[in-house]
Formats: sequence, C-alpha cells, structure tokens
Amino acid sequence: MTGAPERTVSLTVNGTARAARTEVRTLLSDFLRHTLGLTGTHVGCEEGVCGSCTVLLDGEPVRACLMLAVQAEGRRVETVEGLAQNGELTALQRAFMSEHGLQCGFCTPGILMSLTAAERDGLPEEETATHVLAGHRCRCTGYNGIRAALTRSREGGSDEH
Amino acid sequence: MSTDHGDRAEADADADAGAEAVRPGLIGRALPRVHDARMLRGHGRYADDLDDGTALHAAVVRSPVPHGRVTRFDGTAAREGGAALVLGPDEIARHADPLPTVWRLPGQHQRDIEVATRTVRYVGQPLGLVVAASRAAAEDAAERVELSIDPLPPVVGVDAALAPGAPLLYPEAGTNVAGEVRFGDPADEIERAMAAAPHVVTRELTVQRVNAASMEPRGLLAEWIPHTERLTVWSSTQVPHPVRHGLATALRLRADQIQVLVPDLGGAFGSKTTLYVDEALVCLAARLLGGRVAWTEDRTEALTATYQGRGQTATARLALGHDGRFLALDAHVRGDLGAFSTQGGSGPFQITGQSLEGPYKLPLAGATVTCVHTNAAPTGAYRGYGMQESTWIRERLIAEAARELGLDADELRLRNLIAAEEMPYTVRTHMTYDTGDYPATFRAAADAVAEAPRERTGRVRRGVATVPSVEITGYGPTALLEMTGLEASGWESGRIRVNQDGTVTVFAGAVSMGQGIETTLTQIVADRLGVPMSLVAVRLGDTEATPHSEYSSQASRSLVLSGSALLRAGERLRERMDALAAAFLETTPEDVRLEELTFRADKTDRTATWREIAHRGWLGWGRPEHDRIQLEETVDFDPPDVTYAHASHAAAVAVDLDTGAVTVEGYWAVHDSGVLVNPLIAEGQTAGAVAQGLGLALLEEAAYDPVTARPLAASFWDYAIPAPPDVPEIRVSHTETPTPHNPGGFKGLGEGGTLPTAAAVVNAVADAVPEIAARLDRTPLTPYRVWTLLRDAGLADEGQEGTGERS
Repeated sequence: MTGAPERTVSLTVNGTARAARTEVRTLLSDFLRHTLGLTGTHVGCEEGVCGSCTVLLDGEPVRACLMLAVQAEGRRVETVEGLAQNGELTALQRAFMSEHGLQCGFCTPGILMSLTAAERDGLPEEETATHVLAGHRCRCTGYNGIRAALTRSREGGSDEH
Repeated sequence: MSTDHGDRAEADADADAGAEAVRPGLIGRALPRVHDARMLRGHGRYADDLDDGTALHAAVVRSPVPHGRVTRFDGTAAREGGAALVLGPDEIARHADPLPTVWRLPGQHQRDIEVATRTVRYVGQPLGLVVAASRAAAEDAAERVELSIDPLPPVVGVDAALAPGAPLLYPEAGTNVAGEVRFGDPADEIERAMAAAPHVVTRELTVQRVNAASMEPRGLLAEWIPHTERLTVWSSTQVPHPVRHGLATALRLRADQIQVLVPDLGGAFGSKTTLYVDEALVCLAARLLGGRVAWTEDRTEALTATYQGRGQTATARLALGHDGRFLALDAHVRGDLGAFSTQGGSGPFQITGQSLEGPYKLPLAGATVTCVHTNAAPTGAYRGYGMQESTWIRERLIAEAARELGLDADELRLRNLIAAEEMPYTVRTHMTYDTGDYPATFRAAADAVAEAPRERTGRVRRGVATVPSVEITGYGPTALLEMTGLEASGWESGRIRVNQDGTVTVFAGAVSMGQGIETTLTQIVADRLGVPMSLVAVRLGDTEATPHSEYSSQASRSLVLSGSALLRAGERLRERMDALAAAFLETTPEDVRLEELTFRADKTDRTATWREIAHRGWLGWGRPEHDRIQLEETVDFDPPDVTYAHASHAAAVAVDLDTGAVTVEGYWAVHDSGVLVNPLIAEGQTAGAVAQGLGLALLEEAAYDPVTARPLAASFWDYAIPAPPDVPEIRVSHTETPTPHNPGGFKGLGEGGTLPTAAAVVNAVADAVPEIAARLDRTPLTPYRVWTLLRDAGLADEGQEGTGERS
C-alpha cells in the first residue's frame, strides 16, 4: 500500500485551472471530493449505477466514479458547484426548489448535471425525462418532483408553487 | 445543524414566497423548503464531506462466511504494510463492552449485542477494523488481515431455521426461536370461531427481506481529543442521543464525554435508527489513536451489513359470514431476525401482529409472532415498520376471499370498514383509533382507478385494485412504551429562543434526513410567533444543544411530537413578547398588535420593533420580580395516545403474459395525516414512500443463497431500487381529519405511503390474471416469478391460449 504511484493531474474545473498530485488509482469522484474539496459531487454506489457522481467532462455527462482522475488530464470538468452563476441559481435549480424535486439532496447534484447537459444539447423534454433521467436513481422522491421540475424549467419559469 | 440564511432568503425570493411568509397562517402552506438552495448549490454537508484532510480512514474487516468460529485474526501483515491500527476481537474485547438492546421479546435470551465477535453468524459481520492514511490504504491493509474461521453449517430462512435438526445459531438456547408473543384474542377462541365460520380463507404469505438503500450509505467521523478526554462524533444517524448512550456503554465513557452531531443525511428510512457495531469500532479507533478517524461504508456493505428490513412469513386466516362480514382474523407471523436481535430487534414483527386488523371491524382477531435467528444480516427498522406486512397479509386475504366467494372486492371492504361515526374505535389488539373517515378515502381511491382499463383477454392483461391502510404514527406515549417493554421514552421537547437581535433559534430532538422537518418546524414556529420564516433558524441533531430524545426521527413522529412541543412553546413565547412589548409601550398586552415585526399599542399610540423588544427582554430592565428571565421557552410533550393516519391506494397494472413483466400504469394515493403543515412536502413524502413500496412489490429482494447463505444482492446491479421508468406519475391527494391527541391536530406521514403499495399492486395483478391469483403469495413480483406462475397456469405459451390478441 505504500509507494503507490502518483502523478500530477492538471485540468479545468468549473472554469478554473487546477492541478494536484494524486495516486494514479484515484477515481475522479474521489479526486474532486477529497483532493480538490468539491464535495458537491456525491458517491452513492461506486459502480456506475446510481448516477449521483455525474459530472460534465468537456460538456458530456460522465460517471465520475467510473473513471480515474488521471484520465481527466487536460479536460474541462463541470460540477454542481459551477452551475450557479454569480450566485444566481439556474432555472433548473430554481425549478427543483419550487417543485420539491429533492428531499435528502444526495442524488440531486448528479441529476442536475445530466439535465443541464440535456438542455444545453437541445434534447426535448420528453426524451430527457425518459432517457436521461433513467440513468439516475433517487430513493426519496419517487421522481414526481424531479419530472415536475424538469417540465417547469423547460417552460422557462420558476414561479411560486 | 444550522441553516444558511443567505440561501434561505434567496430561496424565498426565488419562489416569490418572501412576501407571503410574513403573513399569519403559515401552517398549511405549500412553501419551498428552507435549505433547498444550499443543497442545490452542492453545499450539502454529509458525513463523508467533513474530513478536511486531518483524519485517518477506517476499513472494516468483515466475515466472509455465514457461520463459524473465529480461531485466528492476525493483523501482523496489515500493520507491517503501514496500518496505523488494527483491531481484532481480542483487542476490541479489552477496550469495549457489548451494546445494549432496548426492545426484547418475552423469552429472549440475548440481552446485548456483541462488539467483540468470536462466532460469526452472517456474511458481512464486522470482526475488526483497520485504520490507515487513506480509505484506499485502509482497504488494502484490511485485505492483509489473516482470518481463520472454523465453519459451522448455516441456516437460511425462517422455515429452515424452525425445521427439526436445524443447525443452531445459539446452541445454548437449544432453539433458533428468539422469543414469541401473542396479540389480541386468545388462539383457542379464534380456533372456535374459525371452525364455526361458513367460509375461511387461509394463505401462507411472505414479505421478502429488503434494504433501505438510502443513497447516502452510513458513515461517520469520530474525534478523540486526549487532553480534554472528549469524543466528538459526526454521524449519519437518525438518533443522536441513543448513539451517544450506546457509545458511552460500549466505550466505557461518561455520556457527557461524548457529543454526537448529525450532519446532512442522504436518506435513512429506518436503517440509521441505531448504533451499529462497526460505527462503535470506528469511535474506539479514534479513542485509541487519540485523533480523528473517518469511515463511510461502500454500497456492498450498505446492502449486506447494514440492517435489513421486512423478512417474514405468515400463516394467515380470515373467516367470513354468509353476508360477507368478517368474523375473525388470525396470523402466525414468523419473523426473520437474522444473526442477532438488533436494539429494536423483533419490533417490526411485533407491530405486524399488533396492527393486523387495520381499518376493519373484527369481532375476533389475534396474532402470534415468533421470531427466529438465521445466518443472514440482522433485520431492523425500515419505513413501514411491520405495518406494510400486516397490510399485505390482510389485504391479500380479503382479495382472495372476494375471489373465492364471487364478491366484488371493493364492496366487501366497504362492508367491513370502520365508519367515521364509530370513532374512536378500539380494535381487538387494544389500539384505539382516534379519527378518520376510512370509507371516504377508500371510495376516493376506488373512484380514481375506476376509469383505468381492465382487460382479461389478449396477451397483455390489465387489472386494478384499491387497498386501505391505517398507520400508527406519532409514536408514542411514554407509558405505552413502558407497557410494551420498549426501553425508551416517547416524549419530545421543543425549545425556542428569541435572541437579543430578535432572531429566533429553534431546538428540537428531531433529525433532518430529507423529510423537510426543518421547514415544517420553521413554519409552525413562525406561525405561532407571528414572524417571517426568514427570522427562524432550526437546529437539530446535536446532543450538546438539542433536546434529549430517545426516538428522534423515526416512527412517523417528528412533526407530530416536535411540532406539537414547538407549537406550544411558540404560543408561550409570543405571550411573553406581547407582555414585554406592553410594558415597554405602557399599555396592556391585549392592546398590543404585532404587524410586520412592529408592536403597536393603540391606546398609547406607540410602537416598538420586535428586535427592540427582544433586546429589552434580555436586558431585563424593569422586569417584575416574578417574570421569567431568559427569553426562551421549552415545552415537553408526551402525547396522550398514538395518533392513527389512514390512506387508500389504487393501482392499475398491465401484465405481459409473454414475459411476466408487470407494469404499473396508474397509481393513486389518498392520504389523511390530520392537519398538514406543508402540503408540498406531504405530497413528496407520500410519493417517495409509494416508490419504495413499488420497489418492494416488483423489484427488490435482499436474497441469500439457500445453501451457502451468501448474500446474492451485493451491488446496485443486483439489488434493483426503482428507476424512473419503473415509477409512473403517482397522483397524491390528502384529506385532513385532525387528531385530538395534540394541539396542532397533526398525524404522521413519512412512512404511510409504503403500507398499501405492494398489496394494491399484487391485488391488481390478481385482478388482471385471476388464474394465478391463489399463488400470488410473496413479493417481489419479478418477471421470472410471474412468468413461472403463468407457465404453471398454462398462460405463458401463446399457442395454448390461441385466441389471444397481441397488444
């Protein structure tokens, strides 16, 4: 266990250049959480099922628990901490609040990242709800509030419930 | 845990609730939650987020075999590899005592839970702990621990454990039976009624073992400071005070040497209602090392070592008269405790017996509950706590009775439901239901599903079913816990402090785990004080700051009990603020009005701000001798009785005869949890509970190999919690029948949605395919299980049915 090979990983996280030394076996999820201190990315299963750890890699949603930090060398990573701009929540985040789209909040960051990518890619709401959301597990909401939040965000509003 | 004021203000503004929130009448408002913005920014602080790089990390050494005696635990290689600490059974025994149980069955020999384990009884049982610089290093080191275990034959499932000649988990007891208890009418009286009844339906009905599977696994950070001899534990738990009590016992410390703090919880659902052995070992390691040790279980540990839920088989009978009236209901429940009795142990199985009658009138009813040890993970609390099981037993029997007698199932239920005008109603197991219109919610749910298709031809069948339930909530009066031998108090305490600057800090024994309790408590306190919600901060989960609570957030009680205590405390504090304002404004309290944080005295035409009065209150200038000094109020609330929530659910399903796949196409839940504080949260709690119920009905099973006793579902690839495609839109509605048992009229609602779900889905499958109805006796209805039944009934092969039409 001693002398595990290390390497410096340089990448862009939420628009900022970051570099840190890490064991080459470190998962991207652990690197973000424990090396860079970005604990908003959550680890629910470490086997690629639950989707809690989803981040955007060069704009594409990926499971941060299924890749090594060294594989993100030179890449652009976006995490949940980078969604709000100048302190303003995005329409999707506001919709989650209005529609009670989160309960314990553990799976939420991953879902926000996947839905954000789908919206940027212009994926229709229906396809997002069926195909993109299917890649996530939420144990609290029964998905009612999450689907409602998706609909509300696509309608462009986040008014009082 | 404190809430984030900056985020809250924004949350209100975002949802345009800020202006609304200062008006009176906050109870009953569908407001967004006060801490959502923080969570949505990724600023949640869960147990695994807390280590700032100063902690060592633990890995648990677990038993690889289901049953055996540990003859060797050698940590030499692990230590040589760089582990900071290796704890095996001998070392643990030198430093730690067993954990106490709190709810024991009559006859139960096991009073404690071993912390130093020398006989293993399930795969995954913690045997030791390894601590190293990182989690990965600790896991590497744990693999270098050398174990020798003399294997013993394992037992899987209650029936095998009860069979003659079964291997015994505790040979000294001479049996695998841990204990037995009877509820309701004596067995012989029921036998006579069964013998004389015109019609008796008998079924053997099973509910599988399941996992709570919260998205955040268990985890904690423990810190021992040698100079002050204090242990601080940040634990992902529902019950900080019981954790402190258990740690004090196990680690031989004074209770006041230990502080337990609860960070954000990523779900719990009952699985975090107790101190686990592995958690105690992490704290022991921190103490021995004189520093910080962090541990988070992985998903495999969460699915195989965290206590599981359900796991029982019941032989159940329902006797009916010629007119369809229920004459007697009886069940012999065999509950699977697993390797040992957890702190609450047989509780869920006992509640199955206690709650057997549900919403129906029965001249005679009773249950015998036998609890059995098997070589599987221990079982414990899981959302629904025995009442999902009793609903399942009762409602399958009723559905089968209707089918056998050729009666309409809805009509049969309505004929036997307790009517609103019969409340309060005492059932045969001595519970007294407080309020509720059971037939009304039943009709509402049945009406909702009436338009759904029922198709009994073709290769895709469709059916519907409606199922009512009653739920024990707001558990419970301390005297009741004493009577049932449950060694815990049931009261809750609420404390409200108006600070010097007029802000309001609330302390309660409840814990936030996703159920939005800090929001609903904020609504109650702001409502009673007449201040905006943004002025109120709720603090929960800190044994040094929040009130003593032996039950905290479980048993659908947080809002009912903490909310009731705070409602009263808020009223008292408002009276004191009014009196202080009156004295300052030189008028009478009756003359004082509070509007937008300003006290106005009509007679003297003077005003003072809320903040000013709070400041003066703490100054104490001009305080009459007998007035209370501190500007805070504490109310202890011990409820006079349990309050009973009720519901009816309706399911519409499709059954594919070619594949055995069951699809839930429509789902309706009509709930009554008394007065709702926040309907948005109430709907979310109910929908989420229904989804867990659907998982139990169709997908989830914590299965064990019947021969090797190894867990078969050790990852989320094998253990399927409902994914979005598995859950239709769940249509939730609420009626509001207040309870007289607390000042707010509140009933609990966190668990209720899980109660009728499996029965509704399986009864709907029986409605769609009556040919297999008699054999629908266990969940989950996986495609394989359904297809096997269809094949046996000659329905699986299209050729055999011939005229079927594909859809």
